[in-house]
Amino acid sequence: MQLLKRDIDPETPLAVSTPDELMRPGTRREFVRQMAAGGTVIMLPGVFAGCATVPLVAPGGLAFDLRSDVGILRLVHTLEQLEAAFYTAVVASANFATFFTSAERELFTDLRNVEIVHREFLRTALGSAAVPDVTGSINGATLAAILSSRANILGAAKLFEHLGVAGLNGAGKYLQDARNLLLAGKFVSVEARHAAALRDVAPGAGQNANTAFAGDDITDSNGMDVKLEAGAVLDRVASTNIVSNGAVSSRNITHAPTANQGRPSADFFPTTP
Amino acid sequence: MTTMNQPMLDSVDPEIMDRLVTRRDAIRHGASVSSTVAAGLAMGSVPVVIAALSRDAFAQTPSAVLDVLQFAFILESLENEFYRAVLGTSAVAAQNAAFATVRAQIPASAREVFAQIQKHEQQHTDFLRSTAIPLFGGTAPRLDANDFDFTGGNGSGNGPFLQATTRLDHLLLVAQAVEDTGVRAYKGQAGRLLINGDDRADVALESALRIHSVEARHAAKIRRIRRSLNLGDTSLRFSGYVRGGGVAAAGAGNISNPPAGAVAALGLIYGGEDNTVHTVFNGSAAADIDAATLSGMEVIGDATARRDAAMMAFDEPLTKEQVIAIVRGFIRDDAARGLP
Repeated sequence: MQLLKRDIDPETPLAVSTPDELMRPGTRREFVRQMAAGGTVIMLPGVFAGCATVPLVAPGGLAFDLRSDVGILRLVHTLEQLEAAFYTAVVASANFATFFTSAERELFTDLRNVEIVHREFLRTALGSAAVPDVTGSINGATLAAILSSRANILGAAKLFEHLGVAGLNGAGKYLQDARNLLLAGKFVSVEARHAAALRDVAPGAGQNANTAFAGDDITDSNGMDVKLEAGAVLDRVASTNIVSNGAVSSRNITHAPTANQGRPSADFFPTTP
Repeated sequence: MTTMNQPMLDSVDPEIMDRLVTRRDAIRHGASVSSTVAAGLAMGSVPVVIAALSRDAFAQTPSAVLDVLQFAFILESLENEFYRAVLGTSAVAAQNAAFATVRAQIPASAREVFAQIQKHEQQHTDFLRSTAIPLFGGTAPRLDANDFDFTGGNGSGNGPFLQATTRLDHLLLVAQAVEDTGVRAYKGQAGRLLINGDDRADVALESALRIHSVEARHAAKIRRIRRSLNLGDTSLRFSGYVRGGGVAAAGAGNISNPPAGAVAALGLIYGGEDNTVHTVFNGSAAADIDAATLSGMEVIGDATARRDAAMMAFDEPLTKEQVIAIVRGFIRDDAARGLP
């Protein structure tokens, strides 16, 4: 197919709301033109809902096959890489000493160190299945904006830690080997300690500072913590724009866990953890 | 792009061979086998049979799940009644009276913390009693505040943690130890809740995981309170992590004149938390990996700093027997009611 420049308007994004739209000749033609012209295609949420059999992994993106423990641990490895890279940048940032008290600096340094251990442990554990280094996909402008203020850093840190807790709490039922479930358990309570400490340092607007560590917005009426299915975790990571578009989102899940592993349950996660 | 992962059924864990011998004997003697095994036998497919057997050999049962839930109910009740006594809201007047002295020392901020934690423990016991345990056809053990001795004295009211009733630093230490015991207990039992594709077991497992991480939040917050009262004690991390193992990991240096019995109990509660070697099953083999000596961790600092980080990075489990050894002194003996 010959593409003519005059047929294309890269400034006008193409919105796609369902997978079926991509199959219609008009939409498909426009999709191809936009991609060729470096234009923008917006995938509305409805597209991803129907993507179980039509994975749309962006070029350069990761692929997660959650039908095995290794696939689930790869997803954890991705999160740990992002967390480790983020805290490494925080601790090394120019304003670290002025934004934070000595107690808070101890907290962030512990966070950095522990996430580095998690990252390297999973890299070793996964061997050839380990997720490639994702630091090259980190969006420099987004990271710089986060590092520009104390509030932004704390907000991003709280989100990451709560995604870690929620993701591991949601993934446990799909693991098939009890040793890997124990490993996930060893991670998740540590992530929960992070999450509590960060909420303690920076309670959200209107929250009781003494109870924010396990506040009523992050515990349900049964006293249970946040929980997300894997796709929701990845989409929340994507929503931060901390990684370049397409590198990490629910589109990257090529295969969901099978019914023999377990079935999805209701998510529980606040807008701003 | 990424490597294709091997489905777990393609591989067999070499560690199961001992169990397989037993299982083979069971099959030979006519024991029932799962449909997957039967299908594999019918097909004459050795790999399918072995893979399915490997899964069966590790499979949990609904009765194991119920046992875990009832055990969790006892621990949650202990926690709940402890905080009710501390806050003065126990249904048993003597429990409230026992903590009257220390209650007067609790700052308003810490009282709010205790109240929030107690609310969660009540919610956990309610969920276990009313939802999770009945889901498996069981009933929760009958328990009330009279069944507990929060001094750890096995009913004497004069156990190694008696000073928690009169001194805030001891009280905070006990609260932290109780929470961390809960974290370790749930972690140790998670594998017994794993029945893939069983919706009831999934409810039990996911609920346990979500309760487990809330207990970790509690423990971290109490650690932070203790550190704020003793800024120089860097064994109590502002991050809320457990660093090191045994009594040192408790931050027991934070309290004055701990009784020998308390030190011994803390040694059990935090025993093994300094472990840095963890097992992962990668689909074809189990590997033990030492997190303290990995490459790529130079930015953390020297070998000591890396080991400290590795100890903090993983919380460790306790077996049911280890947990019972810890909590036995806090619970009146009554095997007839399932109490240790």
